[in-house]
Formats: sequence, structure tokens, C-alpha cells
Amino acid sequence: MTRFVESTITFPYRRSLGPMLSAFMTALTERRILGIRCGEAVLVPPMEWDPATGAALPLDLVEVGPAGTVQSWTWVPAPTEQHPVQRPFAFAFVLLDGATTPLLHAVDAGSAAAMADGMRVAPRWRGERVGRITDIACFVPGEQPELDGDDTGPAAQPVEIMDYNARITYRNPVPPSADRAVELSRQQRLVGMRCPQCERTYVGGRGYCPIDSIELGEEHEIDLAHTGTITNFVIITPVQYPGQTETEPFARVFVLIDDSDVVLAYQPTIELPVADVRVGRRVAAVWASPGEEIDAGGGMGVSLGALIGWMPTGEPDIADPDLVNRIF
Amino acid sequence: MGTSRDIAVIGWAQTPMVRHTELTETQLLMQVITDALTPIGLTRADVDFTCLGSCDYITGQAFSFVSNLDAIGAWPPKRDSHVEMDGAWALYEAWLRLHEGDIDIAVVTGSGRSSTGDPSLIYPMEMDPFFLAPLGADPVTFAALQARAVIAAGIADERSMAEVAVRSRGTGDVDTLLGGDYVRQPLRRHDLPPITDGAAAMVLATGERARQLVARPAYITGFDHRTECHNPSFRALDDSPSTRIAAAAAGLGDAPIEVAELQAAFTHEELLLRHVLGLGQEVIVNASGGALRENPIMATGLIRIGRAADHVFGGGRRALAHATSGPCLQQNLICIVEDGEGQR
Repeated sequence: MTRFVESTITFPYRRSLGPMLSAFMTALTERRILGIRCGEAVLVPPMEWDPATGAALPLDLVEVGPAGTVQSWTWVPAPTEQHPVQRPFAFAFVLLDGATTPLLHAVDAGSAAAMADGMRVAPRWRGERVGRITDIACFVPGEQPELDGDDTGPAAQPVEIMDYNARITYRNPVPPSADRAVELSRQQRLVGMRCPQCERTYVGGRGYCPIDSIELGEEHEIDLAHTGTITNFVIITPVQYPGQTETEPFARVFVLIDDSDVVLAYQPTIELPVADVRVGRRVAAVWASPGEEIDAGGGMGVSLGALIGWMPTGEPDIADPDLVNRIF
Repeated sequence: MGTSRDIAVIGWAQTPMVRHTELTETQLLMQVITDALTPIGLTRADVDFTCLGSCDYITGQAFSFVSNLDAIGAWPPKRDSHVEMDGAWALYEAWLRLHEGDIDIAVVTGSGRSSTGDPSLIYPMEMDPFFLAPLGADPVTFAALQARAVIAAGIADERSMAEVAVRSRGTGDVDTLLGGDYVRQPLRRHDLPPITDGAAAMVLATGERARQLVARPAYITGFDHRTECHNPSFRALDDSPSTRIAAAAAGLGDAPIEVAELQAAFTHEELLLRHVLGLGQEVIVNASGGALRENPIMATGLIRIGRAADHVFGGGRRALAHATSGPCLQQNLICIVEDGEGQR
């Protein structure tokens, strides 16, 4: 039975808005909705170019609404966490008064029976507005705008940046060969799979040869040495992006395993100061203690499980100018 | 036509189409590329160019297409490309590449594991980041708004849409289906595509090689794709001008077609596309069941071209395939395949 691993990825975006979107978003904090003139038309949502021709539009903004007319709608009986209204609502094309194109937004009407083409709606503003389209919590039936919560007023400065955190949860299959590699690592075995055609060896439970595109199984396993030579390395000064736990410069080394052509890429070092990392340095595998939590791997990446890094053996360096070329 | 620069589909394959596969995308591709090449007597070493269509956002891994390269046997180094689009657009790039004239064989793929994430939560994030993504504007909502426009224009009604569903899936009863609840009015469950994991691979060859390798190559005689404004607020949703322009550019009007494979994930899309393309009753549309039966995102469009090629392989003269991308048929591709009769 294939194991699945679930992971949630957050993509934190900071978008610069530019003059047109900045004016629109800033106006939202003032409880005003802007369109842009495009010939005889007034585009809402505003665009920086004519959607028909692609021609750049002069920044000729005009206030529209706040009320408008529903042009079309569909009922959402089961909202998702991303939707702006957390009870059944309508998504509708709302033609704001003065606009010639419709804005898609939510209408909180209570029931589908309360929705109709041609119905009049007005915005329900959030009390706290930050310059996002969701400063309009939704539209509500009628002519009168509403305010949801205490009014914190317009933005003190023009809104020029918009944060947007995309967040997605994935479930990926872990190939059985990857689980097996991790299990063998718990026994402090570094096992490769040798392709019967090209005789290259792969570690980390890849399960197939990427050169010959054939599946590899247990019959192709071979035990590899626990010692090797650093062929190349990188010293990383950590940038504090979300999820980065390192705070000081650290090394990642590439290790050519003895008696093989296998290079393990991007390996952690242990008891090896950054200043002492060199090409040609001899290193030995360090294994997690029994019972210690290890990276069980998942998805498509290579996991070495209980092999947690490499420490110096104390042997003399290997002096081979070609070593540095081996990163694969 | 008839020169060595004719370009033809000479074979293709698809994986089993399932709701949830236990294979990784790379494993799907390893299998399906082998399945496409083997019946023609080719190996990966014969392939001069590959172009893979897939989507990192669906896979949940940046540069996921790099692991997919393991499936093409990329050593010695190969000419390779990738599109973050359906495999139909990978085919377009390969077709252009073969026109350069220095190579003969190309493989294109489309692959996706939709079950990796929740499509209803992923696709809103691909929408306009300022006006649509923050609202969670989802593809079924957009499809419903387009369906309303198509119904208002008299091109479809809920009954004709249910008939498309029954014909595509070969199961169900129109009156029963029309008794179901709306998912997004006017769309019911049967109007929506299934969620499918799968991949497809297609082999292209230039004229002389194609004729050596297979009895009936499916020559690509017309190929074009066009796009419209990204935000459906600015589009006439009861029309698909990009489809119409692409079809004209691909030569749809030059001769009759016998079959059409349309990438219509929603029932009303098939009716709108038939209308826009002017397909008469004599044209067999989506005999395969189309995207309503199996919808492996990133491969669905390529499979339409494979099904059209199957028509030519099986003795047909001329077939049209359509692929689409984006909300409410934003971007549309038309590929026409023909047998070689009367052209050589």
C-alpha cells in the first residue's frame, strides 16, 4: 500500500500595485469605488489597458456606484474557506452605477430565491479596510451601503503594496522504494540501486533509472561505503524567509562515495566548521541514534533518512583537480 | 504537402484514467512514453526533441517538471522543452520545432495528478491576483456564469446540457439528472467534469520518417491558438471569438471534417463550441466521452488530438481537435489532422 504524505505550502506574495491599482485600492479604504475611462466605456474592475486592443489607458479614473445592478449570478450553496462569505451566497456580476462592465463579487442575499437579474445591490464595507477587493465584504440587496464593524477610517498613506498568501495542501504518494531506502537507513545501511543496463547507481530509493527509464527493485540493491570525499560545496548565509530555521552561515557539501560513482548532493556537515570545508576533504557518514526522529521523506525528493550528515575522518585530503567537477 | 516537412502524429498512448493514482507523475510518464513509442518500433534514443506539458501548481512542487525529465531518458543530453500548459500546447511547440527541419521525431506529453490537491481551492489562486483570487473565484462559478449566458443566447438549455452529459458518459437518464440539486445554478453535478489523474504521450514525425514508420500518419494540416482577456468581466460569455479565429486560421472551412474532439469540461461548453465552430449534425462530436468522462488536467487537451488522430489512423479523412485553458474558454487551440490522400 503506497504511503501518502500531506504537506501545506504557503506562497507569500507581496505585489506592488502600480499607479492605477494603487488608486483603486486606496479609494476602497475611503469607501469609494473607481473605474477607468476607456473611450466611451468605464471599466470596472479598472484595467491599465483596453481589453479589446491592449492599448495603454490614460489614468482617467471616475467614481462609480456604490450601488449597482446584478447582471448575472450563481448560487454557492457550500462556500469554501477561500470564499468571502461563509454561508450560502451568490457570486454575481454587478454592474455598478456609472460603469459599463461588471464586477464579480459576492452577494449576501440569504437564499437563491432572493436573487434575480436586475436586482439592486450595494456594498457592505468592512469597518477595517486595508486596500484590497475584500474591503468590500460583499454586496447586499438594496441601495444603501452598509458598514460591518467599527470604522477605522481610510488608509493614512496611499496603498502601494498588496500581500497575498496563497496556501495549498497537497497529498503526494511516496514510492515504496523511497520508504525502503529510509527503512534501510535506520539499519545504518547506505543502499544504492544499480541499473542493469547502464550500471549507474542511484541512492535514496529513486526506484528507476532516469537514463534508461526502467524500474529498479530490490534485486538491484547494493550496499555502499560509509566514507567519501567532498567534491564541491557551498556556504549559505541564511536569508530569513518563512520556514528558514538556520540563523548562521552553514555548509552543504557534495560527497563522492568511496568505491562508487555515486555523488550525494547537498549534504549537511557535522563537527566541521564552515572555514574548514575544502574540496578533497575526507568525510564519514553520521547516523541518527536509534529512536531519534528522522526525515521520513516524501513526494519526489531524495530522502536519506537516518543518514544525517558527514563529519571529517582526519585522513589526509585527496588532491585531485577533477574532483570539483563531480556534483552529480 | 507531401514534402519531408509534413508533420504527422504517428502514435500516442494514455495511462489508465483514475480518480486517484498511487503513482507519481514521473512514474505515469515513464509508463506512457514507453507505451507510445513501443508499438511504432521506436525507443527513447530515437527521439530528437521532447516537450512536456504539466503544472507545478497542481503538483505542489517547484520545478516538478525537472523530475519528469527522468521519464524521457535525458542522457546523452536531449533537446527538451516544457510548457506550463496542457500537452496540446506542448504539441504546438514540438510542431513548430519540427518545422526547423533538422530533426525528425518528437515526443510530447501532458501529465497531471489532480488528486494531489483540491482543485476547487487551487484554481482560484491562478485567477487575477487583485480582483478574483482574493474572492476565491472558482472555476465552477465561472462556468455557471458562462452557462447562464449561453442559455440566455438560446444556444443551450438545461435539458440539452443533460443530454450532452448522458451521451458523453454513456450512462444516466436526462429526466433523472434534471431532478438533481444545483452545484452552481444552472450547473448540476452531471454538468461538471470528473477529477482524474493521468498522462498522455504523443509521437510526431516528419513526412518521410512518418510514412516509413506507420501506414496512416495523421498529418497536422492546420494548427492555431488564440487567447482572450484574462478577466471574464470583459468578455462576451455567450461567444468564443478566440475559438472562431483559431479555427479559421487552422483551415476548418477548407474541407468537411468527419469528427470533432472538443475539450469541453462542462456540458454547455460543448454546445457553445459546436455553435461557434458551426459543426453540423453530420459531425461526430466527442465520441470518446471527452472531458466529461475523463479529465486529466494538463493532458485532457492533448488526448483530444490523440482521439482525432485515431480517426485518421482508423481510415478517416479529416478530424478537428480543440483544447482550452483558462476560465470560460479563455484560450483556445485548434488542430486539424488529415490522412495524406489528395495531398501527395
